[in-house]
Parts: sequence; C-alpha cells; structure tokens
Amino acid sequence: MDTKKSLYSPSTLIIMTLMFVASAYFLLPFFWIIVASTKSDSQLFSTNPLWFTSPFNFLSNLKVVSSYDNAILWRWFLNSLIYAGSVSAGTTLISAMAGFAFSKYDFKLKNVLFYIILGTIMVPTTALVLPIYLLMHGLNLINTYWAVILPSLVNPFTVYLMRIFWMKEFPNELIDAAHVDGASDFAIFFRIGLPLVRGGLATVALFSFVNTWNNFFLPLVVISKSNLYPLTLGLQVWTSITTTSVGRGAPPYGAINMGILISIVPLILAFIFLRRYWQSGLSSGAIKG
Amino acid sequence: MRTKFRSGKYMPFVFLSPFLVLFALFYVAPLIYGFYISLFHKYGLRPPTFVGLENYVKAFTDSGFLSSILTMGEFFLIQGSIMIGLALLFALYIDNEQNHFRGFFKLVYYIPFAIPTVISGILWGFMYSKSLSPFQSIFGVFGLHPNFLSSGSLFWSIMNIVTWEWVGYNMIILYSGLQSIPRELYESAKIDGARNFDVIRYIKLPLIVPSLILAIVFTVIGTFQIFNEPYVLQSMTYVSTHFTPNLYIYTTAFSYGNFNFAAAMAIVLALVTFAISMIFMRFAGFKEE
Repeated sequence: MDTKKSLYSPSTLIIMTLMFVASAYFLLPFFWIIVASTKSDSQLFSTNPLWFTSPFNFLSNLKVVSSYDNAILWRWFLNSLIYAGSVSAGTTLISAMAGFAFSKYDFKLKNVLFYIILGTIMVPTTALVLPIYLLMHGLNLINTYWAVILPSLVNPFTVYLMRIFWMKEFPNELIDAAHVDGASDFAIFFRIGLPLVRGGLATVALFSFVNTWNNFFLPLVVISKSNLYPLTLGLQVWTSITTTSVGRGAPPYGAINMGILISIVPLILAFIFLRRYWQSGLSSGAIKG
Repeated sequence: MRTKFRSGKYMPFVFLSPFLVLFALFYVAPLIYGFYISLFHKYGLRPPTFVGLENYVKAFTDSGFLSSILTMGEFFLIQGSIMIGLALLFALYIDNEQNHFRGFFKLVYYIPFAIPTVISGILWGFMYSKSLSPFQSIFGVFGLHPNFLSSGSLFWSIMNIVTWEWVGYNMIILYSGLQSIPRELYESAKIDGARNFDVIRYIKLPLIVPSLILAIVFTVIGTFQIFNEPYVLQSMTYVSTHFTPNLYIYTTAFSYGNFNFAAAMAIVLALVTFAISMIFMRFAGFKEE
C-alpha cells in the first residue's frame, strides 16, 4: 500500500491547499454577514469588515429589526413560511399522485403526456410569469396569497422525481397482493404506497419548500402590498430604499443585515441536517429514469 | 413482468387530475395566452389591434433585446466554462476516496446553492460597495482600489456572483455521475498499471459526458434567465436594462406597460434557450429513450 506516501506528496498538499482556499471563497459572504450583523451602522462603515468589534450590537440589531415598521420583517418571515409551507405540502401530494399514475398505470397517451410535461421544464419562467400576471389580474387575485401559491404548485420536475421514486421503491407485486386483500386503489396509494416512498416525499417537500422560500420573480410581479411580501422581496425593497435614499425613515443597514441572516439561517440548518435529501433529488434528476 | 393496475380506465386520471388541472391553468393556459397577446399591439387606451407576427419582427430588430441576448451568450461562454470547469475539478476531487476532507468540501461548496439568489445578490452587492467591502482592504495591500460596480467591471462582478451560487450545484450533478461509475473499472485499470490521471482521462471523463451535458444544458437555461442579481444591483449602481433578456422583458412589461411586445420577446427567449440546449444535446449524440 503506497497510499500513505501519496497522501503527503507535494502535489496532494498543493491541491488540498487550493481546495481550502476555495472553501474560504465560498464561506466569505457567510462570515461577512455574521460579522456585519453584530455591528451598528456607524461601526459597519468605520471598522474592519472582516472582524468583530465592540460593543457587540447583535442584540440591538435584532431589536431594531423586530421593531422597524411594526416588526414587518417577522410578518415577511411568516409569509415566507406560509408560501413555502403550503406550496411544499400541496406540491408533494400532487406530485406523488401524478407520479403514481405515471408509474403504476397504463393508459392512453401516457408517454405523450409525460414527455409534454417533462419538456416544459425548459420553459423560462418569464414566458409563464408575464401571462400569469395578466391572468391573476383578470381573476382579481393580484395581492393575495393565492397569486404566489397556485402557480407554484405545478412543478414538472417534482412529478418526474416522484415517478422515479415510485418505480424504485414500490414493487408492482404489492398491488396484486393488496387487491387480493380487497384494498382499493386509494387505500393502496395512501396506506401502502406513501410510507414506502417517504424518502421521495421528503426530497420533493424539501425541494419545493426551498424553491418557494427563495422565489423572487413571481412575488415581485404579483405582490405589491408590503404586508404580503415574502422575505426575499421585502429585503430587496429595504435594500433599494436604503441604498438609493439618504432620507430619514429608510431601514438601517443593521436591520437589513439582521434580516438577511434571519432569511438564510433556516435554509442553512435545513441544508446541513437534511443534506441526504438535497443530494438525492439532484442525483435522481441527473440519472435518466 | 408482473402487471400494474388493471382497475377502471378512469383511475389513473383521478390521480392525475389535481396536477393536470393546475398544469392546464398555470402552464398551458399562460403559454397559449402569452402567444395570443404577442400577436397584438396596443396603442394607448384604444383596444388592441391584431398585428400578426409584427412583434416578433420587432424583437429580432430591437437593439436592446438583441444586445441582451448577445451579452448573455458571452456570459455563458466565459462564466459557463469557468463554472463547469471548476465544478468538474471539485467533483473529481470529492469523488476520489483517497482525498481528505471530501465531506467538508462537498458541503461548503454546495451551501451557496441554498441561499436565495436575491439574497446572494444583496450580500455580494454590499461586499462590492466601496464603504462596506472587505476587498478594499485586501486589495489595498497591493495598492489597488478596484471599483467592482463600475460599468466596466459589472459584467465580471455578476459572473462572480453567479459562479459562487452555482458551482456547487454543478459539482453535485457531476459528482452523481462519477458515483454511478462501477468501482471495479478503476480496480482493473489499476491492475493494468493506469495512473490516477489515466483513470480520469480514459474512464471517468468519457463516462460522465451525459452528466456534463446535463450541467451545460441547465447552465444555458439558467444563464438566459438571469434576472435577480442585476435587478438587485440596480439600486446600488447603474445596470443597463438590456443587460439580460429577462431584465429587458420585465422593464418592457412593467415599466413601459408594453405586455404585447414583452410576451413576444419572452417566447423568442424560450425558443433561443431551447435551440441552444438542443444543439448541445445533439452535439453530444444524446438520444431520447
């Protein structure tokens, strides 16, 4: 075994060092925002951007963000939870049902329908969001939760993912066995099927939760009332007010930085603790089903 | 093979109906409606008049729109190459079991993907701005005082944000491809005296061509849809509205109220994206199953 030797060869060391340099690059913005969230606005502009300073203003920034404009940031946080939570729950059920139909039944035009749905993954969101805005306008749904939730429920990619999970995790023999026992198709889907594909359900739920939490373009177009903003839109609006105006009343940087931190902490936690599911979604997408 | 369901013909559609109804309402209908309104022109308050394909002719001669597409073409060639090149190197590193800290690098490189692109835009925008930037002190050591938000450097600054966001995602796609290669191939190559480099050159690279094409196609689709980063930076510096097609389409629709022309451009953008994606798939001899 010469692995010991190759581990410590100069080229290995150089490559590993470069990998650590790259890590610093990827972590820099996170470190910067953590440091920034502990500073008052004047400290932010007068002290080393990459290190902490005293007094430590983390809690006072938290207080500022929780009182600015009647704590509207927490309202945005709640909105983001409502948008992402309901889309995630809805999309998971809808995709599980559709994936079930595509993988466990034979019916006319099945493949044509499936490939049409799959093909729409390529449609750029602008081509959809623009007419969706006009349709929502016609339906009087602009500035309602529905305007964000309803269009986000349709996701061809999660249907594709669920189809793969059904094919992999649910043996067709179970269907016959269950039918012999007199189970209905619904009972098979809910009682036998769903528990078997729970890995897929978790993947799709996480994927659509994060997608919706991170969405910006659709809310930008269909929401203009500030109390319905998700965090992404609210923070962008705050940033543009603060960076373009010197006037009074603009949100302080301390509030924006704390808001940014609040908006990404749940994602980072979800990312670290659920990373098995993040990756399984992508790898199933990468390997043709 | 043991059969699937043989229940009534309508059963699959019961499972499909929630998805199909929403798909029809929020995918198919907007696409058709978008195409429909793209055939009209609206002068002031008068009712829209049918103009056939005039908006499309206009799109192909509109210097702002063409320039946005060319800019993103250039962006794709430069940033796409850098990003996929880096993603490939990182994926090869974390795929090789002899390397150290693989789990750490995989997590750290992939984490920016979890952050909403709007938030990444704000974070980097702050870090680019003269008064908040950690880079000024770093570059200052060498007597350099770069302005990351000047019109000359903006193109590169946005490339950096997009690379930061998406390298890890592409790395995971390529890594999944690498992981699906049977390990025995490496063993037998080793026995035949192949070095690490030969294994990469003659086994790994040829076998992950499908994943590579997938990453390239996702990059094409993503690049031509870039919106959030330049939109956010608009409040911090001057960003031309024809920097990206989506920014141009959005401005045309929501600042100038010309939804008809915007709808036509959105469809042209969809077709351009589709055509370039197809070229890459054909180029690699990708075949539909």
